[in-house]
Amino acid sequence: MSEHTAEPTPSHDDTAPAVTAVPPAASAATPASAPSSQRQRASQLAQALRQELHKALIGQQAVVEDVLTALLAGGHVLIEGVPGLGKTLLVRALARCFNGEFARIQFTPDLMPSDVTGHAVYDQASEQFKLRKGPVFTHLLLADEINRAPAKTQAALLEVMQERQVTLEGRPLAVPQPFMVLATQNPIEQEGTYPLPEAELDRFMLKLRMDYPAAEEELNLVRQVTRSAKADMLEVNPLRSLLQPRDLLALQKIASDLPLDEQVLDYAVRLARSTRSWPGLALGAGPRASIALVRGGRARALLRGGDFVIPDDIKGCALAVLRHRVRLAPELDIEGLSVDQVLSQLLDQVAAPRL
Amino acid sequence: MRLTDATVVIRPRSQWEAMDLGIRLARRHAGLLMASWAIITLPLLGLLSALLWSYPSIAVLIFWLLKPAYERLPLYILSQALFGHTPSLSASLRALPGLLKPQLLASLTWRRLSMTRSFDLPVLQLEGLAGQARSQRLVVLGQKGTAGATWLTLVGVHVEMALLFGLFALLYLMLPMQVEIDWSWESLINPDSHQWLWLEHLSNLLYGLLLVIWGPVYAACGFTLYLNRRSELEAWDIELVLRRLRQRVTGSAYALLLLAGLLLSQWPAPALADDMPVQCQPEQLAADHPDAPRLQLQHLDSDSARYAIAGLLAEPPFEHTEQVTRWRLGDPQELDEERIKAWAERLKALFDWWERSSGLALVVESLLWGLCLGLLVWLAWRYRQWLQAFGSRLRLPRRSPAEVPPSQLFGLEVSPQSLPQDIPGAVLALWTEQPRAALSLLYRALLSHLLHERQLPLKASHTEGEVLALVQRQQHEPLSQFCQQLTTHWLQLAYGHRLPPADSCQALCAQWRQLFTTEPRP
Repeated sequence: MSEHTAEPTPSHDDTAPAVTAVPPAASAATPASAPSSQRQRASQLAQALRQELHKALIGQQAVVEDVLTALLAGGHVLIEGVPGLGKTLLVRALARCFNGEFARIQFTPDLMPSDVTGHAVYDQASEQFKLRKGPVFTHLLLADEINRAPAKTQAALLEVMQERQVTLEGRPLAVPQPFMVLATQNPIEQEGTYPLPEAELDRFMLKLRMDYPAAEEELNLVRQVTRSAKADMLEVNPLRSLLQPRDLLALQKIASDLPLDEQVLDYAVRLARSTRSWPGLALGAGPRASIALVRGGRARALLRGGDFVIPDDIKGCALAVLRHRVRLAPELDIEGLSVDQVLSQLLDQVAAPRL
Repeated sequence: MRLTDATVVIRPRSQWEAMDLGIRLARRHAGLLMASWAIITLPLLGLLSALLWSYPSIAVLIFWLLKPAYERLPLYILSQALFGHTPSLSASLRALPGLLKPQLLASLTWRRLSMTRSFDLPVLQLEGLAGQARSQRLVVLGQKGTAGATWLTLVGVHVEMALLFGLFALLYLMLPMQVEIDWSWESLINPDSHQWLWLEHLSNLLYGLLLVIWGPVYAACGFTLYLNRRSELEAWDIELVLRRLRQRVTGSAYALLLLAGLLLSQWPAPALADDMPVQCQPEQLAADHPDAPRLQLQHLDSDSARYAIAGLLAEPPFEHTEQVTRWRLGDPQELDEERIKAWAERLKALFDWWERSSGLALVVESLLWGLCLGLLVWLAWRYRQWLQAFGSRLRLPRRSPAEVPPSQLFGLEVSPQSLPQDIPGAVLALWTEQPRAALSLLYRALLSHLLHERQLPLKASHTEGEVLALVQRQQHEPLSQFCQQLTTHWLQLAYGHRLPPADSCQALCAQWRQLFTTEPRP
């Protein structure tokens, strides 16, 4: 038995703050007053957000869960799925729920970087150049079919995804906070597409696979859609807007302050590191994967309503975090194995935290 | 045939140019050619149609088969006209029976489908060759003329079709509108209606008419191709130049020759004999004379002469010897019995020795097996990671976790031996001092129980949540409730660093007793 928690806790009461038990490495010292109640409210908000989203997007529980994870962890999401599964609907519903701005860019082969970030235009009346901000200045950015645009346009997103700013005419301009990119791509049509470069892929915190809904859910979905006034999609108008962008920033802050045990941190790092030496993988995940695992774990813990991160939180988002950061060994690729299969084997072999 | 009388310029041409010349030639004599063609073919077509009125297709087939026969007349006319003796219509018609005679059957049967028909006809008709001579001549001529003639035939087929369709279209356009506004094609195509028959005869007639135009052109083109080939082979153009040269210089040549003779008569006598003065000695003259005894006494009979000739013929200018080296199968007779016997004896000796030294064989065998096993072990070691990861996919026999459960889970010792006999007692004793150790012990005991009693396939990679899910799948309500409580407390303590409430320990221990004391521990 390891002697990890030598510090005694002042009280055995569950409701009392347990901050002193948090190891110093896990989180910064939070104000001792009522972080727990704050956390509880945050959890309730997050769960209410999930409830609202489920109203809009029927089925797809896992996807909603993962998108909320990325939202709380401040990461970006790449969604892969065949058309018509409600990717755009999900983003619109999300923007509506937290009262944020929403912009959509349809990526096409002739889209230019300036169409994404913005550019300077000459104003004849005032006889000077005026900066015209692109659609990237928003809270939620839907990059639809991101792999239809060539690499130079895809690269226009690199800066804004990592630094949350856009450099226009030499001036760095910050994008509104919170900022989140949801990109979609279609897994079947590969004709005339440009695969995302590794640097771009690595900036997405999660890559989600959207699959067809289950039979019962689809029945429910069709019933609701056909009842709606719009032609063939669910409406997002009836959704309540639960929180303001400001509140979402607070939620992100609370999530990042959730206590994390050293062992759990070690588990996350071991998971990411094991991909580098795994025989079935030609290319392993980088340090961004470890970071994303930990952030994802914290966000999931908040969504779960927990006060701390447990190994299940890490393991739950490991597949989505690692999926796009590894490359399958050619022999397994030829055998017809998918990345997900190999990664689940890996998750099955890496030992859970030891105490 | 006098080349100087030719009405065309004779020079080497390309094959296409030669065909062009044929068309020009046919155009110059178009009237005669077409009239003679029409006089022969159209009555014949009429006759055939009358005879085979109910079978128009057969009539036109026969008419088509007879095409080589018609082509002989245009060739005759053209060959005469080439040298300026254009025959009159009646003269050429009179010549027809004579033209048809040679090899008509062959032309109409097995040579009918030859693609170079137009090119071959002049050999038969103008050179009068047959059999072996004809085929040899054709081989010589055909070395360069065949391609053009074949293309000519192919083009001809297409020209005929185009003309046929064109004539049909023309006929249709000529129909007055009042007669037929909407042609009822169905009734035409309907085989039961009798209108079908006259339409076929009409098309036969159109075919006959178009052949009047195209047939002579085809024959003329073949003829010019032949002419071109011959002028190439026999250098007619050079011959013509020389002839012209002779005509030009004939007048002055005699004077020139006379002058040259006069000049040459002044030439000094050759002084060749000066270098080696030959004295005509009477003895030598006598010896070289055919009647000399030396020559008469020689006995050269025909045998020795033949022998000498054979010897000469065997030498280089007449005999060409070449040495060629190549691989071939060995001669089975070469292996003589002796060598086979020697080999057999050696082999037998080897086997005998091998039998005698069986100990050595054993050593070698064991060495080989050892090497084999070593190789396998090395391979397994070399690819151990790969096997670990994908062994399950290769369907290798695996130890199931239930058989040999791991002794450690989550870094905790979970084998039954490592646990105290009275778990709740030990937990309660530890609780006041080390609550974490106490709870850890309880959780360990639970895992150990799940592994060994419940045979749950737990692995090192399972998280606490997954263990809980596995337990809940067992559908044992009290156990899963207990697990739920214990796991919650354990997670709170291990990862949240929060102690469970004090009374929870008593409750858990009580539940433990209730659940597990009835079951004896092994």
